[in-house]
Amino acid sequence: MLRAAAKGFRADPTVPGRGRPVPPGRSVTGRPGPDLVSRDPAWHVLRRCTYGPTPDSLAEIRTIGVDAWFARQLAPASIDDSACDRIVARFPRLRMDSATLRAGALEQYSWDVMYELGQATIARAAWSRRQVFEIMVDFWSNHLNVTNPFEGAWDTRHLYDRDVIRRHTFGRFADMLKAAARHPSMLGYLDNQSSTSEHPNENYARELMELHTVGVDAGYTEEEVRAAARLLTGLSIDWDTGLYRYDPEIHATGPVSVLGFTHPNGDPDGEAVAMAFLDHLALHPATARHIAVKLCLRFVADEPPPALVARLATVYLRNRSAIVPVLAELFASPEFRGAAGAKVRRPMQDIVATVRALGLGPDVRGTQGLENLYWMVDGTGDAPMGWHPPNGYPDVAVAWASAAGTLARWNAHLSLAANWWPDSLTRPADLRKYLVPVLPRTYGALVDALALRLGGVTMRPAHTAGITRYLDRTPSSRLYADDDALGWRFPYLVALVLDSPYFSFR
Amino acid sequence: MDRCCSEMTRRGFLGRAAAVGAAGALTGLVGDTLATRLAFAAPAYTGDTVVVLSLRGGFDGMSVVVPTGDPGYLQARPSIGIGADRLVGRDPSGFFGLHPALAPLVPFWENGQFAAVHAVGQQDPTRSHFAALEEMERAAPGTSLRTGWIDRMLGVRGSSTVWGGVALGGPLAPQALGGPVPDLALESVDGFALDGEGDGGSIAAALRTMYADAPPLVAAPALGTLAAVGTTTAMKAAGYTPANGATYPDTVLGGALRDVARLIKARVGLQVACVDYGDWDMHEGLGTPEAGQWMHDHLTELAQALAAFATDLGPAGMGGVTLLTLSEFGRRVEQNASNGLDHGHANAMLLLGGGVVGGTVYGSWPGLGEADLDDGSLRGTTDYRTVIGEVLQQRCGMGSLAGVFPGVPAQRLGLVTART
Repeated sequence: MLRAAAKGFRADPTVPGRGRPVPPGRSVTGRPGPDLVSRDPAWHVLRRCTYGPTPDSLAEIRTIGVDAWFARQLAPASIDDSACDRIVARFPRLRMDSATLRAGALEQYSWDVMYELGQATIARAAWSRRQVFEIMVDFWSNHLNVTNPFEGAWDTRHLYDRDVIRRHTFGRFADMLKAAARHPSMLGYLDNQSSTSEHPNENYARELMELHTVGVDAGYTEEEVRAAARLLTGLSIDWDTGLYRYDPEIHATGPVSVLGFTHPNGDPDGEAVAMAFLDHLALHPATARHIAVKLCLRFVADEPPPALVARLATVYLRNRSAIVPVLAELFASPEFRGAAGAKVRRPMQDIVATVRALGLGPDVRGTQGLENLYWMVDGTGDAPMGWHPPNGYPDVAVAWASAAGTLARWNAHLSLAANWWPDSLTRPADLRKYLVPVLPRTYGALVDALALRLGGVTMRPAHTAGITRYLDRTPSSRLYADDDALGWRFPYLVALVLDSPYFSFR
Repeated sequence: MDRCCSEMTRRGFLGRAAAVGAAGALTGLVGDTLATRLAFAAPAYTGDTVVVLSLRGGFDGMSVVVPTGDPGYLQARPSIGIGADRLVGRDPSGFFGLHPALAPLVPFWENGQFAAVHAVGQQDPTRSHFAALEEMERAAPGTSLRTGWIDRMLGVRGSSTVWGGVALGGPLAPQALGGPVPDLALESVDGFALDGEGDGGSIAAALRTMYADAPPLVAAPALGTLAAVGTTTAMKAAGYTPANGATYPDTVLGGALRDVARLIKARVGLQVACVDYGDWDMHEGLGTPEAGQWMHDHLTELAQALAAFATDLGPAGMGGVTLLTLSEFGRRVEQNASNGLDHGHANAMLLLGGGVVGGTVYGSWPGLGEADLDDGSLRGTTDYRTVIGEVLQQRCGMGSLAGVFPGVPAQRLGLVTART
């Protein structure tokens, strides 16, 4: 992929974010591309901060305005999400603790509940009304990655999702970090459970500093990694129950000094010191910057604007790692508002956006369709929480420029539009009428109507002509109600619009 | 033996494709440009296909190419060290021996196609997986280059097709391929097909129109995908049976190497193939050299897949192939309390190919004495880039290495013969 080319398609911060949709074929910045996405703020915000625009979400944001919409999304308790909760309730084992699972609800070492977590995550992405919350759950799941499935977390990974990630997604990062450090999923994933005073295992300490907090460029030494590993010994599990337990017997005592944190560490019960160290890391300026950069990568551009990073880091520290004020600053920033078209959809975002755009719903009962949807996403290399190394999925376009991912997305569009597989999701009674309620007079107008409905802009004339040529017509050809384009070829037509560059951006 | 498939030539490959009606589909899929190139343009590249097998996670080279002659080895690893009597494929000096799970590769060790280089390291040792991987794949320490070494190599060599640099076995390309040269990542050849193509019209033709003037950020992957899918469609139609009775393990690694062999035989212009085989981060339970143990079983799959690959290509095919392994770092000399090994530094590289001067271990052994170690790890005595550089110069017709590996030390180990 063209790494250099990515630089050519940065958002232009001089373009205000509150403009009207740009007419097709006209470029705002003079660079190629901007006419491929709607610059309507409603479309920009829903593309970037949800799993994809829907007619309902567009109506809502137009009614109350972008600012009120963000305020509502940042107070998720104010949003009734009972319909989605009922879908997720189809996975009863996700509500069970480890002891209940071990008592017979789950075969020992089975991966089933971990897969159910992946499927429930896709369900929430597709149908939760708390969309910004879901996006941030994904963000933190990657930031404090514990790969799902991971064999060591067979009976705890869903609890990590509930008690570490979701509980603190809109809370304070320091609290999430400390919850992760005392969770068997993380302790198993990064080996701290078997780190002892005699043989400290550095895996968790190293990733804690490099990935979770200050970042690899913060200037710490190998000696400090080793000191951190010693300090964190004792954070372990009860080997009978698999649950968290602090074990003073394996804790390495003795003075430590790491990144400005110094402590005599003389008590064998070192849990409080470990938590103080985690607080120190969470509130370190380098951590603030690290998280600000990652938030900009998620919401603004592949090259984070330095001024915004600095502002977000300041807000983060001023609020002692509370995340909602940081998000509020980000969403109100001109850098964010002017960044339409600066990010490319990742495969899961693309597939879920397709589900939402086509009005697909969960199975009438059961979870077969969701299961299939999970495997469809998995086939693109982007299953939720599925990244193997501890650093979480990359979130820049060049990392996702693979032909395999591209092809999988295109194939998914057709498969979903044509109801091939998954074939048990509920769907509009008549997809054509759902997407194009009023029959246009010409083939060109049909393509325009679909492009507007799915992307908020009409296509460049050459592209429209390319699609009508696929249908053996020209844009001015008269459209008749019994044409194949409105019959068996309609799902192919929908898929082509979803395959187009217009639908590639988030 | 299916002679047609085992010695498939460009013409044979297209002939078979045409015979089963794939040529028509090919034209629809890829348009005239690529179809023409496939049919008439011989690839300019005449060097070896380099297969880069990435052993991600921190491969413990010392468990695999065992320094049995160094008394420090068993001292440091009382429960996971391998006794001399268990080793197979000793080097001429008897100092090194191979892990018993490499038994399937011993015939290639003995016939001189399989070799190892030991105490290979990076210039700036880091023990972070990600920093080490990034630096290894960038392969330009002390510079501000942002591209990967394979991308730079393809840039120097030039590649007329999307098949110049390919990652197989997964949907994402490694960072070594990152940069301006188009590359391709795919799970498998047969699975790489555009659904619905030809059901009433060519989806590919419409997509080409829409992406022709799109921003490169989205156009490059789309157009590359369209070109590649035309080739795989024809290859799938042609079918494939490995030659010489080769049996690949039914795993992601086995499937990926089988597809590499297939692409080599189909002469699509493959210069570098990247295959990942991870899960070497053995902090806990590395195990003894018995079935059911982590290192043993993981190496068994590796050895079986590599042996099948060399068998499938045969001596003639392997004459144009050099496979080498890379891992971001080796592991600590001393085992930890969990019968595992924490992150270390220098490592062993494995080389397999017709041009390899095999049956021996190259490099300079730094020793395992307290004073010899680098912070508890094996000291690096050979820059991994000199090993790759020697392969590129001797086997791939590369002149100066400055553009690919800036500042690499000039060193020749004599591990491959010059390609004639």
